[in-house]
Amino acid sequence: MTTIRIPTPLRTYTDGQTTVNVTGSSVTAVLNDLTQQYPALKNHLFDGDELRSFVNVYVNKEDIRALNGAATAVSEEDALMIVPSIAGGA
Amino acid sequence: MLILSEELHQKIMAHGEASYPYEGCGLLLGTVEDRQNIVRDIRPLENVWPDEKEKRVRFRIDPQAWQAVELEAMMRDLDVIGIFHSHPDHPPIASPRDLAWASWPGYSYLITKIEQGVAQHSRSWQLAEDRERFEEEKINNGQ
Repeated sequence: MTTIRIPTPLRTYTDGQTTVNVTGSSVTAVLNDLTQQYPALKNHLFDGDELRSFVNVYVNKEDIRALNGAATAVSEEDALMIVPSIAGGA
Repeated sequence: MLILSEELHQKIMAHGEASYPYEGCGLLLGTVEDRQNIVRDIRPLENVWPDEKEKRVRFRIDPQAWQAVELEAMMRDLDVIGIFHSHPDHPPIASPRDLAWASWPGYSYLITKIEQGVAQHSRSWQLAEDRERFEEEKINNGQ
């Protein structure tokens, strides 16, 4: 089963689950499955239909931007991770 | 509330001083218990803001570095529970830029003021649920 590790603050919206099992053959499909299982996540990951600009998705340590973006193929053995980009300053 | 030992706070302040006059940054590792973020360890990270001249007032954490820390934390039954960064010669108040590039409510944003190269004090903030502002949270040293 494909898994997605949930960042700490977002576990509020996954009933405390650290890792969620998802189905789908692409990053888009598994993220859709994730937000269907936990609808309250959607606003924190997406701005409309697009991933929020600070949201990075990794498939087995590879940034999907270096692969095929949201269309990147996903298999049942893959582990996905969601990591934010953080910047700021005085 | 953020639970942060004096020992780890000293390490954070030392990183801010070592990074001066640029902003220093890193991640807070720990656990979340009863809505309290409890810091167990810290990981200073490189400030990868692309324009060197702007690093006095800007920071950026490389997502790839964040991912590596996240994996390390996972192996130790810890989580990334927040971000720390320094404000050289500026107050430790979450700024409009911190707000513009924030991520999710729940992370602690610990900011340390560095005055003329010497760490002064820190304050901690969390993004409000509506993402419109930062709200200050108390820091407790766990004693």
